[in-house]
Amino acid sequence: MKIFIIALLLIPSIIAQEFKAADVEGDVKYRSGTSEEWVEVKEGAALRSDDFVITGAKSSVLIKGSKNIINLEEFTAVSISSIKTMSTDDLLLALAMEDMINAPKPNGKNNSSNTAVYGNKEGQSKNPELKADDFGIKRLNGAVQLAKSGFKESSVVFAKETYRKYPDSKQIPSYRIYFADILYEKGLYEEALGDYLDIAKLDLSKEEKSKVESQTQSINKILLNN
Amino acid sequence: MALNLNILPQSSFGLTGYWGLQESVTIPFYNYESNSSNYFGIKDWGISLQYGAEFSGSINSSLYLLALAKKLGNHSLSARFTPGYQKEFLFATGESIIINDTTTQSLKANYNYKELFGIGYSYKFDEQFNAGLVVRFFSQDFNREIVKPVYGDTLYLVREAINEKVNMWNVDIGIDFILNKQFQFRAASINLVNVKDEFTNEEFQGFEMDQKRGAFLTASYMPAEFFNFHLLYETSNSFQVSATGYAKGFTYGLTAFHDYYQEPYIAGVVPAVGYRTNLFEILLSGVKYFSERNTDASFSKFYEEGIHNIINNRYSFDKVVLSLALNISSKPEKQVELIDVEIVRDIYPTFYDKYIDQPFAYGRVVNISDKPVSVIPSVKIEGITDDKIQSPPQMLAPGDTAKVPFYLIIPDNYVIDKATLSYADFYVTASSNEPDAQLQKAALINSINSWDGNVANLRYFIMRDQDFSMNYAKSVLSDNKSTLDTIPFAISAFIKSKILFNDFVKRLVYTSDPRATAENVQFPKQTIELKGGDCDDLSVAYSSLLESVGIQTALVDYKEDGEIRHVNVLLNTKLSPTQAKFITTNDSKFFIRKNEQGNDEIWIPIETTSLTDFDEAWNVGVEKFNREALVKLGLATGKVEIIDVY
Repeated sequence: MKIFIIALLLIPSIIAQEFKAADVEGDVKYRSGTSEEWVEVKEGAALRSDDFVITGAKSSVLIKGSKNIINLEEFTAVSISSIKTMSTDDLLLALAMEDMINAPKPNGKNNSSNTAVYGNKEGQSKNPELKADDFGIKRLNGAVQLAKSGFKESSVVFAKETYRKYPDSKQIPSYRIYFADILYEKGLYEEALGDYLDIAKLDLSKEEKSKVESQTQSINKILLNN
Repeated sequence: MALNLNILPQSSFGLTGYWGLQESVTIPFYNYESNSSNYFGIKDWGISLQYGAEFSGSINSSLYLLALAKKLGNHSLSARFTPGYQKEFLFATGESIIINDTTTQSLKANYNYKELFGIGYSYKFDEQFNAGLVVRFFSQDFNREIVKPVYGDTLYLVREAINEKVNMWNVDIGIDFILNKQFQFRAASINLVNVKDEFTNEEFQGFEMDQKRGAFLTASYMPAEFFNFHLLYETSNSFQVSATGYAKGFTYGLTAFHDYYQEPYIAGVVPAVGYRTNLFEILLSGVKYFSERNTDASFSKFYEEGIHNIINNRYSFDKVVLSLALNISSKPEKQVELIDVEIVRDIYPTFYDKYIDQPFAYGRVVNISDKPVSVIPSVKIEGITDDKIQSPPQMLAPGDTAKVPFYLIIPDNYVIDKATLSYADFYVTASSNEPDAQLQKAALINSINSWDGNVANLRYFIMRDQDFSMNYAKSVLSDNKSTLDTIPFAISAFIKSKILFNDFVKRLVYTSDPRATAENVQFPKQTIELKGGDCDDLSVAYSSLLESVGIQTALVDYKEDGEIRHVNVLLNTKLSPTQAKFITTNDSKFFIRKNEQGNDEIWIPIETTSLTDFDEAWNVGVEKFNREALVKLGLATGKVEIIDVY
């Protein structure tokens, strides 16, 4: 019943919007739907919901919709369909969907975590060599831009998709902590806890470790009191 | 000599009274007089003995009856020996002779009517109808003293006896109708057929048993085991009313009878009381007449009225009868009863192993024993299974009623071209090999191409033609050996999928369901041979080809696409996310699923109805999947479902 009600609430937020590119500076490109080609974004160009926009070094673009607006800074990639307002319930549904896609086959094991866990096994975590033009990094930057523009729920969904498609991007603690914090902020404590525990397995700086431990303890207290 | 005596061999009167078809006691069934249909409430063997005494001034005891009954399926056989069923009459002939001028000696006649033995047979057509017949053998012995003149030098008289024995066979039939547990009926004949010897001596003609035909009807109202009410009416205008019952091993019966040929109106009663276990029965009954009985009567009255029953007539006396019966059964006692069966799923033969996990029917079973029993349900369906298919046993507490599931296994090579109405025989077995109860229900067997609309069940159509698909796919791939030999192994699954699809589209066209029904799905071989199909058929065929060469697939069930449901295919490229660049630079054209080992693999959706080429089918599949399953959160809301084929 809960899912059914949530599904009804979703309907307004999934209606396609028209977007236009403005204040285009530097190397800004878009890719439509299933196309393999990137095309230069011109000032005032119309962007569809299945388009994907990327920016290069020292580049930026303002993407305006009828209700939503986002400024993409350099080295970002974002799908137009992600520029949308989602409720926390929408976010929960999207996170649950990850499990449904994975649908692990019955093999006697029972993975009861709320969200799927990606990446290497414990003890194998190392910060990979990252290049600024890695598409995964650009997507995470795009996700951060989404969050900064107020689309926090959508940014988490976009980041999670990035982790799946670009597993190396999952090894960067700063992004992981950033999006885990959003889950915490939204009161999704169990989901945030899962992320923090997973992040704790990465090679963390002292500050990052302290932050993760602090957040983990805080969530444990909250969950214990509930 | 008189020629119009009414000496009738029988009426419906029995020495234990009338008990209807009440099966809680079997002794009354041995009374052929009221059980012409040979109905027996025994399970296997039955033996009965009736020993009694008649109070005719002195007490004359005799063995009335010794009987045996046997049940063979729906057949019941019985035989009885009745030495005590006889009536003897002694008459003074009215003649006398004077011996030595001083002593007068009366001459006598002795007429003895006997029923010696009988046999019975019946057939139980179903739970409602039983019909049968009984054949009985009677004997009549006539003896009479006469004075015979002897002529010589002087005339003198000598006393001589003349005698004659006349045998007779009697056949009667009966039919029983059991409307339900409360109402039961019987119709039976009286003296339907009599075959007897011819008299050789005119002296005795007219004293033989008469053949007056008649019939009787009975009705029983049985509202509870402890109280049953019966009415028996004879066409001679005689009747019997009785109340019988059974409670906690004890039985009772009280029969009052009106005999048209006897006084008063209610000529007498037959009370009975007994006790029974599963093995034996004992019943003490008696006959009490309400009119005075004399050992002497005038010949003229006998001459005028005759008698109408050997054991119940105006010359009969009060009796006490002790009846014993043994119910011997080589079959175990029935412990469970199958009350009803509900078929909850239509039978789709292609889903050959589906009914192993999901019962297709449920039965209501009651434990009628006084101990816990393990019940094994089983089913046999005409045309599908040669043997009974057993389901897991269920424990039932005494007196409990439980819902037991019936599972089914359909042979994977079973073929049926069109839907057929068959019969399913449901059995429940408690302790032996023989079922305690069974029930038959009509069951619709769909054709092998029938589908219930559940996309998850399309996998059965995918799996069925695996040999054909494997040969077909290998043939296509071997035609492209040169291409496959030059590609990196990592993308072999992707390239094979592409080659197979591109061959697929050259041969096939999309058509709506050729059989004009959405409930039919073609097997891969049929789709290839018919050169087309709808989305179900094409997805099944393509998935089957891929699976046959080891490429993992899943079906995507778009449950709402306007009014029409849609199905297409996902395939596993076996590529890791970092290898995605081997097949596309567009990361929206794939998505990641974990395999059984927890490793991420790239899956791509293929729209099988887009019969242009592989790339186009992939693009169309991606657009639909991204829109319906991901952006609209269809997977989370249940409108889109991924169903793995294996």
